[in-house]
Amino acid sequence: MIRIAAVGDVHVDKDVLGRFRPALEELPDRADALLIAGDLTRHGTVDEARCFVTEFGGLGVPVVVVLGNHDHQSDQQARVTDVLTDAGITVLEGEATVLELHGHRLGIAGVKGFGGGFAGACASNFGEREMKEFVGTTEVIAQRLEAALMSVQVDALVALTHYAPVPDTLVGEPLEIYAFLGCYQLGRAIDATPAALALHGHAHHGSERGRTPGGVPVRNVAHPVIKQAYNVYQLLSDSVDSALVAN
Amino acid sequence: MSTQLDEYLEAEIQSLLTDGRIAELGITVNRREHHLVLGGEVESTQRRDAICLQINERFPDVQIVCDIGITRAQAPSEVEEIS
Ligand SMILES: [Fe+2]
Ligand SMILES: [Fe+2]
Repeated sequence: MIRIAAVGDVHVDKDVLGRFRPALEELPDRADALLIAGDLTRHGTVDEARCFVTEFGGLGVPVVVVLGNHDHQSDQQARVTDVLTDAGITVLEGEATVLELHGHRLGIAGVKGFGGGFAGACASNFGEREMKEFVGTTEVIAQRLEAALMSVQVDALVALTHYAPVPDTLVGEPLEIYAFLGCYQLGRAIDATPAALALHGHAHHGSERGRTPGGVPVRNVAHPVIKQAYNVYQLLSDSVDSALVAN
Repeated sequence: MSTQLDEYLEAEIQSLLTDGRIAELGITVNRREHHLVLGGEVESTQRRDAICLQINERFPDVQIVCDIGITRAQAPSEVEEIS
């Protein structure tokens, strides 16, 4: 059994310091790792990244994140990533990490993702150069997610994105902006792999639960959606922990 | 001339909310007959107050009602089993 805590869209700046900390101090009693689905900061500045590290760092469990669109706002995503990495936080963008937890291997592959829309209402790779660049960006990111998911051999595989891979978890948002909140290409990438769970954020007014067309459970963990410091998900419920067997 | 509570005002407020300083993409703006209602949630009371202040300063003759909430940040009491 593995328990992972997850949240997204915490948008940390000085004014948020201390708000999550009491709940985070309890996190090691409730979960084995914390995954954060992007929009860690408000404007993607180095100062805000330091605030994020103060609030979410040093938890005693591994912290794995992807960046969100807000973390790109100041064009400082490389420096933001450095601040996070220096604090021991794993930042995924087109790669995967493996955590050994209770004798199980948990694989997490992450990308920020991008918009584009969903079947029947999506942008297509056609026409103006700007449009092709937009959809081309979406397609490249989705391919990188699929490659990252396929790059690890694990007992449980989780896809972590900021943008949504399905429209199910956008319900509550205006239909007109779905194409800016996610894309079907991320869902198709996830469905091409043995992923057990897909986590995303970004859709502050969306809803919590959905599934990819291939049946993978999807959870929108944006903070305003889950309305608590983090959610906890249990994976490999039926498996026997090797630590217990050894006793 | 007083400011019209129309779609253009709504769009202008949305662009003010999403500009570099406030950077809130999740605030809703609802037009009522004589006032505007701001909704959604942000991460701190300071942030909510700054939003209302800036909109009030920019549109002094528009009556603004601020229903923006602060997202709760307590620890969860439940675990969801994924299958
Ligand atoms: Fe966000
Ligand atoms: Fe976002």
